[in-house]
This record gives sequence, C-alpha cells and structure tokens, in this order.
Amino acid sequence: MIQAVIESIAITKSYQMGSQQVQALAGVDVHIQAGEFIAVMGPSGSGKSTFMNMLGCLDSPSSGEIRIQGENVTHLSAAQLARIRNRYIGFVFQQFNLLPRTSALDNVMLPLLYRPDHSDAESFAIECLKRVGLAERMDHHPSQLSGGQQQRVAIARALVNQPAVLLADEPTGALDTETGLEIMQLFQQLHSEGKTIVLVTHEPEIAAFASRQLIFRDGRLQSDKRVQPASATEHLQRYRQQKSQEGLA
Amino acid sequence: MKWLLLFKVAWVALQVNLMRSILTMLGIIIGVAAVIIMLALGAGAQYEVDQQIKSLGGNVFIVFARGRATSGARGAAGSVQTLTEMDAEAIEQQIPQVTVAAPTMWANAQVIYGNLNWAPSIQGVDNRIFSAQNWQLNQGREFSAAELSSSGRVAIIGATVQRELFGASDPIGQSIRVDRVPVTVIGVLDAKGQNTQGNDQDDLIFMPLDTVRKRISGRTLASPRAVRSIIVQVADERDMALVEQELESLLRQRLRTTGSDDPFRIRNLSEMVETRARTMQIFNGLLAAVASVSLLVGGIGIMNIMLVSVTERTREIGLRMAVGAEPGDIMKQFLIEAMLMCSLGGFLGLSIALLVTKGLEKFAGFTAIIQPEVVLLSIGFSALIGIFFGYYPARKASRLQPIDALRHE
Ligand SMILES: Nc1ncnc2c1ncn2[C@@H]1O[C@H](COP(=O)(O)OP(=O)(O)OP(=O)(O)O)[C@@H](O)[C@H]1O
Ligand SMILES: [Mg+2]
Repeated sequence: MIQAVIESIAITKSYQMGSQQVQALAGVDVHIQAGEFIAVMGPSGSGKSTFMNMLGCLDSPSSGEIRIQGENVTHLSAAQLARIRNRYIGFVFQQFNLLPRTSALDNVMLPLLYRPDHSDAESFAIECLKRVGLAERMDHHPSQLSGGQQQRVAIARALVNQPAVLLADEPTGALDTETGLEIMQLFQQLHSEGKTIVLVTHEPEIAAFASRQLIFRDGRLQSDKRVQPASATEHLQRYRQQKSQEGLA
Repeated sequence: MKWLLLFKVAWVALQVNLMRSILTMLGIIIGVAAVIIMLALGAGAQYEVDQQIKSLGGNVFIVFARGRATSGARGAAGSVQTLTEMDAEAIEQQIPQVTVAAPTMWANAQVIYGNLNWAPSIQGVDNRIFSAQNWQLNQGREFSAAELSSSGRVAIIGATVQRELFGASDPIGQSIRVDRVPVTVIGVLDAKGQNTQGNDQDDLIFMPLDTVRKRISGRTLASPRAVRSIIVQVADERDMALVEQELESLLRQRLRTTGSDDPFRIRNLSEMVETRARTMQIFNGLLAAVASVSLLVGGIGIMNIMLVSVTERTREIGLRMAVGAEPGDIMKQFLIEAMLMCSLGGFLGLSIALLVTKGLEKFAGFTAIIQPEVVLLSIGFSALIGIFFGYYPARKASRLQPIDALRHE
C-alpha cells in the first residue's frame, strides 16, 4: 500500500461541558492518499470541523493518532506542531481569515514569513496569486476585495507553502452560488494538478465535485465512498446560462 | 521570522491604533522627558559649579568687614575695629598656605561716557586681585605702582561695561566719568560670563583702592587704609579648613576681638556655589520621583494596552499559528510591539525634554547639558520597560491554543 499523506487512527475527541461530556469524535479511521479530493459531509454537529482541525494539527485528539506521511504527530510540542502546519498543511477557512489592512500579497506571504529561509517568498507568493487569478489585485487590502476574491487570496495563501494537503472547512459557506461554483472550479483545477484536498461542506452539489465522500454522523464515519466527480466548469456554465435565461424571461 | 519584518508588523499595529498608542505612551513620554531634563539640569548645574569654582577658585575665602568700616561704629575699647590693607598683608605673610590676599573696596556709582551712562559695580583693588580671582586682561595693562599709591584716576573695565559704553570702539585711553570724577581707561578684562546666581560677573570696574576710598565711596572711613573685604587665595584646596582657622585667630588677634561677635566674616566661595547646587539637587530629586512614578505608571499602561491588544487580535494570533507561527514567534511579535511603543515614547519624551531644556536655558537662565549617552540610555531604558511590561501579555498571546484563538469572537 502506498504511504498515506494523512491518516487518522481511532481518533476521539470529547469535551467536558459542565457535568456533561460531549463526544465530538468517537473513533474515526481515515487514510488520505496523495492526489485525492475528499468531501466531508454530515449534519451539523456531527464532528466534521473537529475532524478537520485534528487533521490540520490545530487541535489534538483525546485519544488515537494523527499521522502525517507516516509520522505520528500526536505528542509533539506546540512549536513542533507549528512547523508541521507550516510545512504540510494549507488551511482555507469559511470566513477567509485574512489579515485586515494588509495587502493581498502580504497575506499570501504570511506562511513563508515563519520559515527560516524566505528569500524568494515574494516571487512565489505572486506566482500563487496568479494561479488563483488575482495577480493584478496583489496590492489590494481585503476590504477592497469581494468575498470570492478574498477566498481566492486565502486559497493562494494555503498554496504558498506547497502543502501536502489543502484543508478547507466550508470554503463556499460564505459565498453566493455562482462564486461558490467558481471556487469549486479552482479546487478542481488544483486537484487535477495533483493537489490533495479535503473539503467540508453541507451541500451535496458541492460534494459532488470531489472524488471521495466521507459522511459523518454523531462523531463517527457513517460512510466512505469513491464517486465519479461532476465537473465544476460545466456546472458553472449551465448555471450562468440558466441565470441569463431567467434574466431574459 | 526576520527582525525587520517583525518591526514592520509592529509598526503597522501601532499605526492602526495611533491615538491609543500615543495615549498609552504618555507615561513613558513624561517619565523619559523628566529623566532627561533632570539629568540635563544636573549636568548643567555641575558644569556651572565647576566653571565657577574654576573662575573664582575653590581655594578662595572672602573675609568681609561686618559694617564697621565707617566711623561712628562703637569703639568700646577706644580702638576702631575694622579690616585694613595691613590685615591683608599680614594674612599673606603670616599664613604660609596663602598665596595672595587681595584687599578690596566697593561702591556703586554712575559711570558716564559721552552721552551714555551705566551703573556697574565699582571695585577698589590692587593688582593682587588678578591672581586672587583669576582675572585676565583682554587689552591694556594693570595698575602702576604710582597709580596705586597716589589714588590715580585710572580704571580697568569689565567686558560688559566695555560693550555698554564703547561698543566696538577702542576704550583704552578714553576718559569716563565715575561719580563725576574723570577717569582714564587703561585696561579691559576678559569676560567671565554669568555666575550660578545669574549675575553678570563682567559688569564691574576696577580702580585703585585709594581712588575708590577717597574719590568715589563718599563715606568717611574709620581708618585711612580700611577695606571692605579681603580675597584670600590658598595654594592647596586641601588646606582650606586649616587656613580658615588660622585666618580667624589671626584676625581676632589683630582686631583685638573677644567673644563671638567678630567684626568680620569668613566665607568660602565654593561653599556658596555648592549651596546653590544643593538646591538643584532637591529639585532633581523631585523630578526623579516624578520620573520613576511616571515610568512605572507608563509601564503598567503598556501592559494593559498590550493585554487589550492580545485579546482584540486573538483571531490574528490564531491565524498566524495556523499557518506556522511558533509560540516564540508570537511572543517576539508582541514583545517587539511593546518595545517599539516604549522606545517611540522614549523618543517623544526626548524631544519634549529638548524643547523644555532649551526653554529653561532661554527664559530661566538654567544651564542644561544633554549628554549623548543619556539619550541612548533613556531610549534603551524605555525599550527595556517595554520588554519588561510587555512580557506578560506576550507570553499570554504565545500560549493561546491555535484552535481556541481561531474560534475567538
Ligand atoms: N470547543 C468546544 N467545546 C465544547 N464542545 C464543542 C467544542 N467544539 C465542538 N464541540 C462540539 O462537538 C460537536 C462537533 O462539532 P463540530 O464543530 O465538529 O461540528 P460540525 O460537524 O463542524 O458542525 P457544523 O456543520 O455545524 O459546522 C458539536 O456537538 C459541538 O457542540
Ligand atoms: Mg463545522
């Protein structure tokens, strides 16, 4: 079997809320191979975000293991985990989480600032902004960009450290349908270029663009299946046609 | 993360809340300004004391006659007790540690040259005054023996008198009227400037003792050789205490006084100057108290605002951690921010101190000296305050859990 990029092995997470214990994750095993595009689905409160945070080493499991390229990272120090995130993980958040009053370019460069050597950080950051189609906006501050553009900047930021995996928690959640489809188009392109992507979503239409679907329920993996991905580009075209027809009618 | 970048990030953060940052810096600004003003005035006062001790001599006593130089003073023992030129001579000869004892008279009189008039202090002296008080001649010559013995109508004028009466023209050989007596100017003294009391030391005229005694003072003297003071210079400053005792016993014996009511008083010039310096020290102590309280309050203010800043920017911290900032990076970022804020405060304090000391020099006659090392020290010290009071907030920031910080509302 090929080496998995990230694996979760029997991870659990429980929170103590007063006298009550909330079991956010109750033993989840997932192995993610390089080049996969995975959609994580499930009802609200089923543990999707919790699972993503574990994969991204933002949070540590109550029990079980997270392995990144075979290495168990569960017991590393805060500084070591920071280095792991910096090297292997690219995050895309629902709320973009860009630094205000900071140019798009500087936002994209942020992860590289925490590397010992970042001599060509700027040129590579520009490269990433080009990749998401925002090269001409690199001097704009987040407040001068639309939601979709902000999410593209955030994706460029997630790409800039050439991570082993992109983790996106509801990246289209704050966007309208068309912009959401555009973002999904971008993710599909990145996937076709070989990027490994894990994406949380509520919407089955969005999940349909992935090649593997995980469905959570009550902190457990209810199903894990490979699917034939739909094309976001085609969807987008159809959506735009439909919209313009509605506009004409 | 590179230091330069950290400074850039900190600078941006300060600018975002410029007004708040400046208000926070206020304590530091006032503290640093007070420290610098204090040190500048202290150094200035010390400089003045040194200068004056140099010009007057720290090794000088003045023996004053206590108001009995005029006739009509009591003569209980049938003798008139007063200081005379002979006392000066006796001091010079009988006390081996004394180099010079210069007898002086003084009077105030109107001085007229052409249509200008001026009222300097008129001093009756002989040539011993030059070594006793470290006077140098700028132009002209000292008094001749003949002028001294025959109350010659000659004068050596101070730099101020020259400026006021003659301006740019040459005063040597000119005739001025001192209390209506025509007198020829034979010399001009080098300027000494102000003393610590802010008095102009160059606003005087030297004339032979006898000339002042007979022609100017207009008072009937108890003795034809009476003087109003004797300036006594001691060879070695370490002998001052000894010489003071000897002076006292010699003069008591010569003036035949008993009991405590001496008809003379011995003053040490450096003592007078140092009294002034002590006043300065009290003032300085006050400033030091203001400075330390202000720096403490300022530091606590910095800590407070940094805590607020950490809370406000929790999400930013979370994001930075998510993309790879180690706890140490976050710590550095906030420490540098606190340090930058404090050194900026220090810099503003320095600017204020510069203005205030310039003002004090100009309008209150203080001497203030800002030493370069004080500047570096004060800014360095404020940066240290930043690090000290910024440490706790910075550590708090660095210990946040990435996921909690990101979820922070
Ligand atoms: N910090 C926390 N403290 C206590 N309980 C928590 C915490 N974080 C998550 N939980 C609980 O864990 C469970 C899973 O939460 P999680 O955020 O993973 O759900 P989710 O699947 O992402 O939901 P949604 O689709 O609404 O985002 C929920 O019941 C939630 O209340
Ligand atoms: Mg969620």
